[in-house]
Amino acid sequence: MRTAVLLGFRLRQEVLEWSGAWWFLLTLVVQAVVAPLIGLFVWSAVYPDDPSIGRYYVAVILVTLMTESFEQHTFSERIYDGTLSHELLRPQPVVIGVIGMNLAIRAWLTLLGAPIVLLAGIALQVGFDWSAVLRSTPYVALAAVLVFLWTFLLALTAFWTDRVHAIVGFGGQLTFLLGGTAAPIALLPDTWRRVAEVLPFYGMNGLPAEIASGGKGSLGYQLVWVVVLVAVVTVVWRIGVRRYTAVGS
Amino acid sequence: MSAVEVENLSMSYRAPVRKGGLRAALGSLVKREYKTVQALDQISFTIAPGQVSGFIGPNGAGKTTTMKILSGILHPTGGDVRVLGTIPWQRRSTFLKRIAFVRGSQPVGGSQELTVMDSLEYQRLLYDVPRPTFRRTLADLEALLDLEPLLERQLRALSLGERMRVGLAMALIYRPEVLFLDEPTIGLDVSAASQIREFVSEYVEQTGATVLLTSHYMADVASLCPRLILIDHGNVQYDGPLAELSARLSPYKLIRISTQGDPTAFGEVIEKADGQWVLRVPRDEVAATTGRLLQAMEIMDLAVEEPPLEKVIDQAYREGLR
Repeated sequence: MRTAVLLGFRLRQEVLEWSGAWWFLLTLVVQAVVAPLIGLFVWSAVYPDDPSIGRYYVAVILVTLMTESFEQHTFSERIYDGTLSHELLRPQPVVIGVIGMNLAIRAWLTLLGAPIVLLAGIALQVGFDWSAVLRSTPYVALAAVLVFLWTFLLALTAFWTDRVHAIVGFGGQLTFLLGGTAAPIALLPDTWRRVAEVLPFYGMNGLPAEIASGGKGSLGYQLVWVVVLVAVVTVVWRIGVRRYTAVGS
Repeated sequence: MSAVEVENLSMSYRAPVRKGGLRAALGSLVKREYKTVQALDQISFTIAPGQVSGFIGPNGAGKTTTMKILSGILHPTGGDVRVLGTIPWQRRSTFLKRIAFVRGSQPVGGSQELTVMDSLEYQRLLYDVPRPTFRRTLADLEALLDLEPLLERQLRALSLGERMRVGLAMALIYRPEVLFLDEPTIGLDVSAASQIREFVSEYVEQTGATVLLTSHYMADVASLCPRLILIDHGNVQYDGPLAELSARLSPYKLIRISTQGDPTAFGEVIEKADGQWVLRVPRDEVAATTGRLLQAMEIMDLAVEEPPLEKVIDQAYREGLR
């Protein structure tokens, strides 16, 4: 209960804090939607008569906005400038602050990006089955958790290296290629498709978008990866903090 | 029970080293070399509840490292530490709610876009401070730190002195029992530094908090700390009253006189201007010399002073303690 109250307060704080940076958030929105828009243009040109392509990519844009994570800019910088020490001395888990900021940025990106999603939908005359959209809600929620865990895991490498942006950038490329943004994974060559279906990246973008556009999928696959990533993040966090507290800021 | 117990505390870490040049740089890709830096070497001391102690030493002596260990940020490589009976680096919530660590270089953490009041409110939630206690403490802090004009301001828009005042308010709103102050007056002007000193003094008087303070400004140490712990090269060089350190390091006192005569025969003249003289005299000869001066010369004013603290400490840093 106390954790929920603290998280709620932190979320409110962060939403307020980011409200002063709407122009910066707009640039983040643009960065977030560029990749799925390219995918949309390319695959719409390849399959001009297939309405599911437009529907899928409009959903991917929305899922991307709702699940974006920037822990390499927020959390990792706290390691680099030593202000993580402030967080370590607070009587709450450090991750509460990280999650609060993550949710606040996502809320702003979704709000500011909604007109783009709407415009893309109208321009492509995309129609959604609203029961499928409703059904996609838990998939989107788990995708949000997965993207956070993945980005946070990579951001934790800041305990060891000052090249965290390159590492998180590489992780982002994997998500782009194998997560269903560069191409819907059903359109990938067989081997790549099988690989993509097993790795966690599809659960971060493509799967919730497919469910929202009327497809099928498994929540279990996402849940398994959530469990795996939570375990890995926990171990890496402990080792990282131990290192930070051995060397200091 | 002591508020702070430190026994044989050691801290060392490995720092990568390599020679200059491309060859050494390429070589370090294959085989990295490290040098062990001994930041603290078996230091021991205890601080009783309610005691204010100055923790001084030259740059790199290990002061901040010790503070970080005592507050729970750093995990030492050896020795035992108990703060309020708890091992600090376990960072249990119950422990963190009873201590505060304020750094002059980073007085305020967290979201910089928030107002001071929002940040204080967050502290209230974080440290489970009941609303009536919060209101009462806030009223005290407003009066002591002149906070009222700052409450609606954003943290990022505060000046250095204001940030320090807010940093102290945020740290003290939950009434910690042990306060670690690392250079609390660094970069502040004379009045702001004096205001912070007065505040710490009043806070200690009101709450009976235990304070460990590091500062390069001897005015902080002289006005706040009856006890001094001097650390250098990771070792405790002195632990005791300030006056004793001064006597130990400087076997002289200063006699300041106003006279139209020439007192050079009575001691070593170290200052002379417009009839004002400062003589350096061995401590055990001060009384006799003063008597002879008063008998032999027409003295308009006379004062016996300890040597300036800065000079004593500087001597301790440069020459060590004998």
